[in-house]
Formats: sequence, C-alpha cells, structure tokens
Amino acid sequence: MAEPILKVNSVTKCFGGLTAVDDVSFNVAKGEIVGLIGPNGAGKTTLFNVISGYYAPTKGNVIFEGNDISGKPPYHLAGVGIGRTFQVVKPFAGLTVLENVTIASFLKHPKKADAVRHAWQVLETTGLADRANVSAAGLTLAGRKRLEISKALALEPSFLLLDEVVAGLNPTEADRTVELIMKLKAQGLTILIVEHIMRVIMNISDRLVVLNFGKKIAEGTPSEVSSDPHVVQAYFGEEAA
Amino acid sequence: MKNRGATVLAILVAALLILPLVVHDTFVLRVLTEGVMWIGLAIAFDVIAGYTGYLNFGHGAFFGIGAYTIGILMMQANLPFWAALPLGGVAAAVVALIAGIPTLRLKGAYFAIATWALSRAIQQLALNVEFTGGPDGMRLDAFLNPQFFYYLMLITVGGTFAILWYLLERAPFGLKLKAIREDEEGAKALGLNPTKLKMQSFILSALPTGILGGIYAYWITFIDPSSTLGDLVSDQAVVMVVFGGMGTLFGPALGAILIFAFKTLFWAYLSDFQLLYLIILGALIAISVIFIPNGLWGTMFKRKADAARPQHQTEPASEPAALSAVAAPEEGN
Repeated sequence: MAEPILKVNSVTKCFGGLTAVDDVSFNVAKGEIVGLIGPNGAGKTTLFNVISGYYAPTKGNVIFEGNDISGKPPYHLAGVGIGRTFQVVKPFAGLTVLENVTIASFLKHPKKADAVRHAWQVLETTGLADRANVSAAGLTLAGRKRLEISKALALEPSFLLLDEVVAGLNPTEADRTVELIMKLKAQGLTILIVEHIMRVIMNISDRLVVLNFGKKIAEGTPSEVSSDPHVVQAYFGEEAA
Repeated sequence: MKNRGATVLAILVAALLILPLVVHDTFVLRVLTEGVMWIGLAIAFDVIAGYTGYLNFGHGAFFGIGAYTIGILMMQANLPFWAALPLGGVAAAVVALIAGIPTLRLKGAYFAIATWALSRAIQQLALNVEFTGGPDGMRLDAFLNPQFFYYLMLITVGGTFAILWYLLERAPFGLKLKAIREDEEGAKALGLNPTKLKMQSFILSALPTGILGGIYAYWITFIDPSSTLGDLVSDQAVVMVVFGGMGTLFGPALGAILIFAFKTLFWAYLSDFQLLYLIILGALIAISVIFIPNGLWGTMFKRKADAARPQHQTEPASEPAALSAVAAPEEGN
C-alpha cells in the first residue's frame, strides 16, 4: 500500500453520555477510494465531522499528510487540501450556482476574475454549467448534490470527503455521479465516501471501513467485507449470520 | 443598460455638486445635507445587515459614539475638528470590535435584541456620566457655514459609497459576506473564517457611521443622548434599508431618499401628528417585509445580468482539458 495521506488514530467522539464514535482507527492511502459504511446511526457522519474539523475528537487524533489536524477549524482544513460535501446539502440559496462555486474558488484564486473563470471550469466538469446563472434554491436535489461536489472541487483539494452524494438520486443521475467520482480518482484525488447505496459503494471503493454503533467492525476490500460475518450480522441481524 | 445606469449616476453626482451654487435657501440646503447623511447611514447599515445578514438594531449607537467623541475631543481636549473627526470613526470601530466579540456569536433575532440592548446601555451611560454633560447634552463651538457641511457630508458619503461598492460588489469580500449570510457552517468548509469576516463587516459598518456622527455634531452644534443615541437613528436606518432593498447598496440609498423626503414633508405639514410618523414607519417595515421582501430596488431590478459563459469551454469534447484544470493531478499510487 502507498503511504497513507490520512491516518485516523483511535478516534473517539462523545456527546454527553453517548459515544457516537468509539476508538476507530484506519488509514487512507494516496489515490485510494475508501468507502465508509454502516447502518443508520453507526457514526459515519460524526466521523466525517471529526475529520473535516467540525468536531474535535474526545480522544485520539487525525493525521493528514503527516500533520495532526484534530480540532483544527474547518476553514483551516480547506486550506491544507481537504474538501467535503454535506449529507444535508448546504447551498448558498440566495446566490447563483456560479456565485456559490466562485466563493469556494477564492481559496486558491484570490482575484475575483480568476475565481470566476475557475468556477466556470469546475461547473463544466460537474455538468452544472447550463445552470450557472440559476439561483441555487432553484436546483433539483440532484443539482444540489452536484453543487456540493462542485464547491468541494473548486477548493482544488487533494483529499475529498463525500457524504452521501448519490443517495436520493435516480439511477441515471447516480451513474453520472459515479462516473464523475471515477474521473476524479483517475486524476489522483484521494476520496473517503459515505454511501448507503451498496451497488455504488461496492463498485467504486478500493477498500471499505464498516462501522456499527460507533465501532469499527470490519475493514477490507468490498468482497472481503461483504462476506464478513460481523458485517452480515450488523446489516441483517443475528440469524442471517 | 449598464451605461445608462452610469450616465444617470454621473448626472446625479453633478447635480448634487452644483446644487449649493444655485440654491441659496439655507433651509433647503440643510434638508439636503441631512438627506445625504441618511444615505450614508443606510448604506453603512447595509454592510452588516444586508450583506452579512446580521440585523443590527444598535446602529444608532455608532452614530452617537462618533458624535460624542468629536464633541468631547473638541470641547474638552481642544482638538481641532479635522484631528477629532477620524477619531470619531475609530471610536465607533473600536466599540464595534468589543461589542462584536460576544454579540456576533448570536444569530437572527438574538443578535437584534443584543445590539438593541447594548445601544440602550450606551445611551444610559451617556445620560449618567459627567463628561458627556448627562441629559443636558453638549454644546459645540458653532461653525456656521451650510455650504461647508453640505460638501463635507457629500464627499464623506460619496467616498463611503464608492469604497463600499468596490469592496462589496467588485472585490471577493462582498460574496464572502453573502456566503456567511446564507450558510455559516457551509461557508467554513470552503475556507472562510466566519468570525473574522463578521468582525470585518461590523467594523466596516461602524467606521463611516461614527464619522457621520462626528460631522453631524459639529454641524448641529448641540448633541444630547436622545437625539444622537436614541432609537430613532437605528429604527430609521432599518426602515430605509428594508424598504429600499437589503444587500444592494443602491436600494438603501433609494430607501434613505424616499423615507427622509417623507419625514421632512411630514414634519413640515403634519407636525401636530408626530406620533403618527413612528406608527407609519412601523407599518412600512411590516408591509415591506410581507409584500416586497427584496425591497424596492430588488423588486424593480431583477438580479444582475447573467454572467457570460466562456465560449471556448461550451463543447463537451473539451471536458478532459477543463477537468485537469480543476484539480492538479497528483502522482498515482
């Protein structure tokens, strides 16, 4: 395996008495797509929020490109190359699609004209260029999910966290998004993705990390994981295992 | 369309510059001076309220702090006006910085209530300490030159407008503030530091307001806690901006002109019904919010002309080229 770009070391996150993420460790190698799966409430989004700086871990740490980033604010992490999307999409509803992406482009292109030019390029890539002048509030769910990806890409990240960018899309839209993710991988982007749709996650991931009740219960290639008794039990119950 | 707008603006500025040479009636000049001042107060208020989404119901406090700073520096420290004036802006900016640390963590109605309470506290302070003259207010040395104050007000407000327009409509700063207004959590993921941006916005709003307060004090020569630190300054600014169109600069300027003209006419012809003026102001806020949520300007002029799509990228065939520009490829594993 290539050198890890991201190391999650024994991360625990508690909210009061609830342990949402419990002593989870795994690595992500450069250029890899790692899928993070688990039943509802397993702690996937909480772990995402710890990695992207929205929560500080209660215990453990997160190392990105050799630096401890645990507890650093999200805007700092965007600066070091971590882009993320939100499961509950966060468009700037009162602004146009182009303006939304331009704001993200400011990170690497401080001049407005350069940022706008770069935003256009991103929208061409993600297939939203036709909707550039539409208010973000006027996009369909599929459009808003693409906007999330566009904004994250406009940061020109080296590591991308995708939180359920396929869920809720129809099969055609889902295929287009998968195609886009594969293109990004081909460019050398490292991706950590949370997704519920097994057809998608099994196909695109190099490796999977499975969470249940905040704990890591399995890790490995999609075929290894899908035959793991712990995973089968978590998804289908005691008897199936 | 854009050229026509620029022409209208040029004619307007020329007319405002020539006006005192034609109009010799001091009352008219006085009304115009105050009208220009209100444009300045409204656009400064728009920075934090319209662009950043933080409705500051204590805007009047910055005006009063500027006025009192100039009054105290001129009358008690014997500073000349020109030395005191910038300090009025600085004082307002410093108060914004200190007040912003706790209040800018609040959102929506909570921020409005906190800033309103803070401005009431500052008014009470001015009423109760010695050096402000308490409820009796403070008298400044009179400098009776209406033309001077008209031009000073015009240059200050014109300069403020030009700087704000550049920062908010041309530079990235305006879009960043709007991102904070639309979704603070989402903005963080894009590399924006909301605390820093909100603070910059609050200070940018306070600074010109303090300077205008200082000019007002020297011009009117008498200030007291109710005229400069009272509710009316904040309330009128809110109505002007909401009615004119939040987050547009031109809208608040238009709102300021219309509301101030209405106020002047009301005072001139219906001064027996002063109470009614505030009732009308209140009703106007409610009507604006319900029927024209984008304000007059936002309703009259739909969003700015569509940004043109670069020609050479419209073909799908060029997608790989565009793609490689998006994320610089790193060496594979």
